[in-house]
Amino acid sequence: MEHIAVGISGGVDSAVAASLLIEKGYDVEGIFMKNWEEDSEYCTVEQDYKDALQVCDVLKIPLRSVNFAKEYWEKVFQYFLEEYKNGRTPNPDIMCNSEIKFKEFLKYAIDLGANKIATGHYVRSNILSDSVELLKGVDKRKDQSYFLHTLTQKQLSKSLFPLGKLNKAQVREHAEKKGFNNFNKKDSVGICFIGERNFKNFLKDYLPSKPGNIVSEGGRKIGTHDGLMFHTIGQRKGLKIGGGNGSNSNAWYVIEKDIDHNELIVGQGHDHPLLYKKNIKVSKIHWINDETKKSSELSAKIRYRAEDQKCSITELKDGQALIEFEIPQFAVANGQSVVFYSGEICLGGATINSSY
Amino acid sequence: MFYFDHSATTPVHPSVIDLINEVQKDFYANPSSVHSAGKKAKAIIEISRARIASAINAKPEQIIFTSGGTESNNQVFWSMLNKSKPHVISNKIEHPAVIKVLKRLSTFNLDYSLINVDENGLISLDELKSHITDQTSLVSIMMSNNEIGTIQPVKQIVELLKDKNILMHTDAVQCFGKISIDVKILGIDFLSLSAHKFYGPKGLGILYVKKRDTINNLLIGGSQEYGLRGGTENVASIAGAGLAAEIGSKNLKKNAQKLKELKTYFIKELEEIYPSAIINGHLTNSLPGLINVSFPGFRSDILMTKLDRVNIAVSSGSACGSGSIKPSSVLSEIGVSEKLNQSSLRISFGSTNNLEEVKILLKELNLILNN
Repeated sequence: MEHIAVGISGGVDSAVAASLLIEKGYDVEGIFMKNWEEDSEYCTVEQDYKDALQVCDVLKIPLRSVNFAKEYWEKVFQYFLEEYKNGRTPNPDIMCNSEIKFKEFLKYAIDLGANKIATGHYVRSNILSDSVELLKGVDKRKDQSYFLHTLTQKQLSKSLFPLGKLNKAQVREHAEKKGFNNFNKKDSVGICFIGERNFKNFLKDYLPSKPGNIVSEGGRKIGTHDGLMFHTIGQRKGLKIGGGNGSNSNAWYVIEKDIDHNELIVGQGHDHPLLYKKNIKVSKIHWINDETKKSSELSAKIRYRAEDQKCSITELKDGQALIEFEIPQFAVANGQSVVFYSGEICLGGATINSSY
Repeated sequence: MFYFDHSATTPVHPSVIDLINEVQKDFYANPSSVHSAGKKAKAIIEISRARIASAINAKPEQIIFTSGGTESNNQVFWSMLNKSKPHVISNKIEHPAVIKVLKRLSTFNLDYSLINVDENGLISLDELKSHITDQTSLVSIMMSNNEIGTIQPVKQIVELLKDKNILMHTDAVQCFGKISIDVKILGIDFLSLSAHKFYGPKGLGILYVKKRDTINNLLIGGSQEYGLRGGTENVASIAGAGLAAEIGSKNLKKNAQKLKELKTYFIKELEEIYPSAIINGHLTNSLPGLINVSFPGFRSDILMTKLDRVNIAVSSGSACGSGSIKPSSVLSEIGVSEKLNQSSLRISFGSTNNLEEVKILLKELNLILNN
């Protein structure tokens, strides 16, 4: 029977993934990854490890440990800081998948003698005669293909996703039946290494903040900001723009970051036209299956938990491409990923550089 | 299981287990009670105290039972807050149960200096001397390091401090049963021990105190342990620790000799199977049975996992709450490169190991390293 190394995080998803593989008869080994060195009340790693141990004890499988803190620091965290420094909005979870979970961890597992790895992601893989497709998870609210769009054929062929056909409720039910301590553990949200702490305070420890002005799209100064990096396109809360500045009572939204002038440009109302962009220029295009990119039914989404929207793609020079959406998209943030789909199939993705 | 992690903890000696079980079952009375059963329990504690005292050449009234090496260390350091001289000297490769305590105490106006160690992990007496001021109340230097085994010149330090009115503490948790500990010869003021490191139970520590008026209690409560440690005594574990100390001290020479032989054999054979392996720490002036070795080209977590799979237990770096390994700060302090740091394993033999087991370890290492 194939030997599978399951990345056990201490959460309910990976625990159930391991359990399902055991039920199918696989020879399963758990591996707990530590990717961040920190002893603080914000770091949940100790509790996560304890939960992971309890799960593996119930499943009667060994739990191994590996520390990728150095690799994570160099490949994910440095990218994260670099992007913020350049006024962009990084996605460290996507980078963590491509650089750590499906690269370092995969290598580590194979080196240990595993045939494949498995994770608790809500996606499916579909093995064709000569390639593997990545499909959305059946639970549409949980589908995580957005975060896995950078996977290569080689990575996909070495990975199992036992939760792809389940919904979250079924997963929790399985966990409770098994007696896992973590069966009702809260889903992790946000960026794992920041945890529950204040994002602004965290970032301030690593990057110098450059205060500047908040201006309306007409160029009128209506407030100040502590640094462009603390803001994202489409943000509404926390701008501290007083009443009386606008022409109506609608809320203010961030519509652009002017890096050159260190200005945050804002406009009023969720329907503000400048918040909607039809055309997006991207780079670092990755296709999971080469031939599928010609798919006529191309759709894409520009953020996790968004609906796929019909679009077309035109390749430009220097590895760039132009994505034209049929309907304008709300709050397109540079640095984020646009991920391509054809129905259930995740085709790949690219990084957003500009939009208009 | 092939267990080579005795510096982390040791298996409890079978006779010690028997004694602990017997005490738990038959002598459950509170030692502070005045009825016969209570007095019997108290007597069990005092027998153990005498056994431990004899094992380190102390007087019974100089022995205080605590919950472990960590508490013993804490009690010494927290007591320094009451001294008129608020400066403590220690070194950079002490256990966190020293360094983190000092760090905390520095928020209560205690000042401390951590002296360096050389590439073998040895402190320098000259550097130590240079840090002594008229405000220094305590010097704390571990008898032997838990990761690399280097033995520090404790006796020379005590001599250096003579007539300076400075107290001297040593964390000897790693040493009992492996090297001789004689508090009189050392002339030390405080010494910490932990029973689970010498085939006794976990959760039982010992603090040797030369003069009890140099110390205060950390746990405030009843008048147990000469009023220096409140709380109903852990009678069974205390009894177990006493017996373990007696056995350890009786077998010291034999055990040390055996550990030395296993270590010598391992290092010699390792040179054959993996010549580029590098031994960290002092080659000769170190604990018998403890080897810290780097395997260039290999990650320690992968080595440990592969050994774990064939039921071989060793350790690496410093373990943390999340069960993984972080690079050892001790190895960094002695100048081991980051790369070699992350390729290091700590192998610590114990009294139940034999040559056959060491051969199995070498055989498995050979398979992992040369495949």
